[in-house]
Amino acid sequence: MVDINAREMTIREINTQVKELVNEGQEVRILDPQARHNLVIGVLKECKVTVEGSVGYLCASLLDGPDVTINGNAGWALGENMMNGRITLTRNAGASVGATLRGGQLFVGGDAGARAGISMKGGDLIIRGNSGFLTGYMMQKGRIIICGDVGDAVGDSMYEGEIYVAGEIGSLGSDAKEETPSEDELLEVWETLQDFGITERFQFKKVVSAKKLYHFDALERFEKRVV
Amino acid sequence: MCGISGIMHKHAGASGLAPIGEELVRMLDAMKHRGIDSTGITVAGEDSKSDLIVRIWSDPEEDYRARFRAVEESVIAKGGVVKNRQSTEEFLRLNVNYEGDVNVLAAALYELPGVTIHSIGQNSEVVKDVGTGVELGDKHGVGAMKGTHGIGHVRLATESRVDITHSHPFWAYPFPDVTVVHNGQLTNYHKMKRQYEDQGHRFQTENDSELIAVYLAEKLARGAKLQEALYDSLDDLDGSFTYLVSTDQGMGSAKDPLALKPLVLMETDDVVALASEEVALRSVFDEEIERVEPQQNEVMTWLI
Repeated sequence: MVDINAREMTIREINTQVKELVNEGQEVRILDPQARHNLVIGVLKECKVTVEGSVGYLCASLLDGPDVTINGNAGWALGENMMNGRITLTRNAGASVGATLRGGQLFVGGDAGARAGISMKGGDLIIRGNSGFLTGYMMQKGRIIICGDVGDAVGDSMYEGEIYVAGEIGSLGSDAKEETPSEDELLEVWETLQDFGITERFQFKKVVSAKKLYHFDALERFEKRVV
Repeated sequence: MCGISGIMHKHAGASGLAPIGEELVRMLDAMKHRGIDSTGITVAGEDSKSDLIVRIWSDPEEDYRARFRAVEESVIAKGGVVKNRQSTEEFLRLNVNYEGDVNVLAAALYELPGVTIHSIGQNSEVVKDVGTGVELGDKHGVGAMKGTHGIGHVRLATESRVDITHSHPFWAYPFPDVTVVHNGQLTNYHKMKRQYEDQGHRFQTENDSELIAVYLAEKLARGAKLQEALYDSLDDLDGSFTYLVSTDQGMGSAKDPLALKPLVLMETDDVVALASEEVALRSVFDEEIERVEPQQNEVMTWLI
């Protein structure tokens, strides 16, 4: 494992060094990140990166493959647009965690802020604590699993995907509805949680799209229905 | 974008004043990427023992020394005694012994051409200038300013001019000791401003954030508690906002109903610090402590 002491380095220098080291097949540890932005961006191979401390905005974004552990808090939009890989955050995440997530697994050990999983298009977003306002806003695919409570307007305007909530639901968003998950679905969720060391068998509620806002079959003004 | 920060040493009054100026400069410098147009701070808590601290700025294009003389003459004409005078280029700071109504003094200074009042207060003052936090510290010596609490701002201008008068914090003319820093945009600014102007209020700038200061100060002057005033603002202000307010009573924060602008805070038994980004909090807290992110419609206050 190679240590990078981030204190005196620019963000570009840190990211360049991370990419060089993982391309050599090294495991990387970033020390003293001081909650700075845009760390560990655009790493497109399987590798292991650990950050010892809190990070700022948009960290661990645009990833495809890495296993990133952050021992601290994260600012807004952690793991934005990850294609594949695994991000483990030990403490709290800011707003928009996992924005437009496409694949992989993103685990938040503490609480998440507003708009967690906004416009998610795949993958798993797992939140050990509570999640904020507008969780799963305009979600299109994937799973959000919340072991604590969730704030108001959960699943607002979501298209597809599932949001599992173990605690209280503040309120459902527009066009979101609550369902009882099947036994198979619960087993899958518990299995996923086990990967992150959570063995409690939470009785999850499931929030999905009610699809009342779906109008994809409506015709344009001059269109004619073929069938 | 803009960055805001605030800090309070909860026991500072009893056990000596805290280095608020220096801490705010450090926090704002850590967030300079959020705005380099201007930087400003309010430092509060040093009781001037019934004296007023008057902070004035005059346009450097004009003869600002003559303007400063006019300010002093105006203070004396209203019965004030200038006990101390400091100036840095076009910035003037007066320590005034004044027994009368602050509104009367403020109105007299407001009338003077080419002069902007940055703040009037018994226990707080505003220092703001174009440039970064470090530049503010070097030029105005804010690093030496002590107090119990304070707020600060780095600005990336979106809605109004980039100049010293339109930088934050905004003082709520003519109410002493009420200042605001704001990240966001108010969409009902012009409408509300007209309503206040109809009631006789006057504004010093065309910046929407000044309205928040006047809004809160007006409510406080009518006897509202700080927390009540902040909660009311969630209904009355429209747009995106996370703002911090500093008064002689303490400090408060409010976040809009859509949680559109960031804020995080860290709190111990002795200190609470808030900022747009954790990177600023890291510059005052070395130890690893819980970081909280206030949510939509959340109001917080800390009284000294």
